[in-house]
Amino acid sequence: MIENFLAGSAALFGDPFTIGIFVFGVVGGMLFGAIPGVSMLTLAAILLPFTASLEPAQGVMLFAVIYCTGTYGGAITAILFNIPGSAENAPTAFDGYPMTQKGQSGKAVGAAVLCSAIGGIASALVMMAATEPLANWAIRNIGPPEIFALVFFGLVVASSVGARTIWKGWMSVLIGLLIATIGQDPVGGINRYNFGMTDLAAGIAFIPAVLGFFAVSEIFVQAEKKASGKYQAPKVSMTFPSFIELWMHKIAVLRSILVGFFCGILPGIGATLAAFMSYGEAVRWSKNPEEFGKGKLEGVISAETANNAATGAAMIPLLALGLPGGALTAMMVAVFQMHDLQPGPLVFMLSPDLIWIVFAAMFYANLSILIIGVLETKTILNLLKIPFQFLAPLILMLATTGAYIGRGLVLDVMVMFLAGIIGYLLRRSGFSIPAIVLGLILGKIGEQNFAQGMQMVHYDLGTYLSRPICAILIAAGVITLASNIYRAFTSIKTKA
Amino acid sequence: MRNIIGTAALCAAMMAAGSAYAFECKRGEASFDKPGGFPERALTMIVPYGPAGGSGQVAAAMAEAVTELTGIPINRDHKPGGSGTVGMTAYMAAPADGYNVLEHIDDASSAHALDSSMPNPADDLIPLVVSQVTFSQVYIRTNETRFSDWPSFVEWVKAQNGKATIANVSKEGSMERITMGFITDASGMKIQQISFDKGAPRYGALLGGQVDALFEQPGDVRNFLDADQFKPILTIFDERPAAFADTPTHREVGMDFDPLLRFRGFYVHADAPVDRVEWLKWAFQRGYCEDSYQAFNESKFMTVIDSYRDTNGAKDLIARSIEQYREVYKAMGLDVK
Repeated sequence: MIENFLAGSAALFGDPFTIGIFVFGVVGGMLFGAIPGVSMLTLAAILLPFTASLEPAQGVMLFAVIYCTGTYGGAITAILFNIPGSAENAPTAFDGYPMTQKGQSGKAVGAAVLCSAIGGIASALVMMAATEPLANWAIRNIGPPEIFALVFFGLVVASSVGARTIWKGWMSVLIGLLIATIGQDPVGGINRYNFGMTDLAAGIAFIPAVLGFFAVSEIFVQAEKKASGKYQAPKVSMTFPSFIELWMHKIAVLRSILVGFFCGILPGIGATLAAFMSYGEAVRWSKNPEEFGKGKLEGVISAETANNAATGAAMIPLLALGLPGGALTAMMVAVFQMHDLQPGPLVFMLSPDLIWIVFAAMFYANLSILIIGVLETKTILNLLKIPFQFLAPLILMLATTGAYIGRGLVLDVMVMFLAGIIGYLLRRSGFSIPAIVLGLILGKIGEQNFAQGMQMVHYDLGTYLSRPICAILIAAGVITLASNIYRAFTSIKTKA
Repeated sequence: MRNIIGTAALCAAMMAAGSAYAFECKRGEASFDKPGGFPERALTMIVPYGPAGGSGQVAAAMAEAVTELTGIPINRDHKPGGSGTVGMTAYMAAPADGYNVLEHIDDASSAHALDSSMPNPADDLIPLVVSQVTFSQVYIRTNETRFSDWPSFVEWVKAQNGKATIANVSKEGSMERITMGFITDASGMKIQQISFDKGAPRYGALLGGQVDALFEQPGDVRNFLDADQFKPILTIFDERPAAFADTPTHREVGMDFDPLLRFRGFYVHADAPVDRVEWLKWAFQRGYCEDSYQAFNESKFMTVIDSYRDTNGAKDLIARSIEQYREVYKAMGLDVK
């Protein structure tokens, strides 16, 4: 493995043009990842035709690098302004933005930089060591029934994130699930709650909803404070997390790598679910779950480690089996095909050089996140010094552009503002915005996999629970749910 | 070794077929005067699906070919959702000035067959070219030990009493669900259809043994065929394509129904200026002949049968499809409007 890695590194850095492509991918991925609406997918779609004129290894490597750095890029705006650049950075905002409000922006951004790099590098190393056996294990053992069990488990944990009471937490999750049912159902294609509007048949897009719930509702909250004279500008903090602080979170980092890797390896799941599941796991294992959503460093660490850990893992089914895990890896299939190559078992036999250049590039791209992240962070943090009256319109403009640009639908802008108003009102009443967003993302994935899973087990619960992974995850979810309810009742009795 | 020989034979058959079609289409005019300077800026192509899927890829390949031919850039505007209805609605609302074109698949025809208030791609739009026409097949894993061909598969499925599974895109009224209905009726077997809207989980389900078979078009699973991981056991087409000479057709195994084809094409508003429409027809039909597009179609198994339909050919194909879908929907008891 080391010999192959060194050969891949030599090929990567032995040619100035290849280095140029690598640097372009690193910087481009970060920039496009950071701007809401124009994600790394936008950049990838623009670049796709141009990859035909590149060497196959250069083209595939460019997309792999964009995938790594684009996944990290959205964390900065999520932490500083409550605007997740991409869906996989949404859980980063749950605690990252409250940390900014508490004057700990440097700590949050520093943790995001470091943990994105750690997650990505760890994942790249596992990818290099065991791509083929891991891919084969995953497709044989994880199907829709298991993915639904995973989602059920995630939803149970979601209810305890950020709400004033567990009941409001559950209500928040249910609101998210309700929103997720809008549009065509994922199995029969039947329209639901679209009220005859064609655009709603496609459902509520995730990015406009997240921008509304997070960025727009936050502007309303801050504007209210400004109007009532209670507004305090967030303090700009340049203090990075100390080594001891990070060391104290070593278990969270390790757990997030495992969760991120596990989610990333499943075809069609990828980095977004990884970040949400990892955040949920952090809450579940915490002795103080009520602190999440209010500015806990572990929240940022869990989300950012996991989403980057998923990038290397997502390459495993792509390269070993030809199964892309998401839109960006699907575009990578197109890059392969442009050069008369097919990802899958044959590519390991026919183009080992290409594979190792890509592996090496992903490793160095994650390392670049660390270097560039540390260098740029202090400059970026100064954005917080912009006065609110200038910052708010800027954020609204960015958010509106981000909501519209994804599908080019005015409906998405309306959804964003509606979500902003609803989010503002719900926050005042003690409901949890992170739980709503978790319900929304997990609801879509969960419903589809539930329907497929039930069809696979012929609607027989016994057969469903005879699958070991399903049984373990469902049992863990039920125990967690029972424990949450017990704690809620105990808390009521204590107060009485 | 068997795999390599098989793949080589497949490629040779495809290339032969592809070359024949490319030769045929290059007999068209090599240039076409711009009517009144049109187009003097970039065209916009609305694509009702995401950039990574089959439609996204064919849109990218055709845009590249037309740009190579004419020098006119084409911006692709992806509007996914609602089984193509979101993109179609957006397109119908766009100015009918010839600068906006639409990519769409046979779903537009089936949607109109079910609900005539939806646009008819042959009447409410003008087909510029249909550039991909393909058939479906049923696949099993190559290393499958429970069955090895269509007769043994049917026998095995019947023995499972409805517990056998097949992965496809089985949305209500879809080409896949209707064709599977034809197959199960004709063969007397009962099989659970599992709907996967994305390709990767669908193919992974077969590779990993989560389902017993897969219903798909050959271009979408080409890498699995090349890697000898999937094996076709039934072709749903009237005759055996040369590239799949060893696979029986549905008619050969005793099924008597007209196959529904998957097709992708490009359209313009019916009320766009006539001279501009003529230029667009030339650009897209000739774009089909460009080497880059032909190479793309070959890579997608789209030269195994004749993938090309000009405007009139496309209108015929669409009209027949609509008629076919409407009859089937009525027979299924669906509310045909």
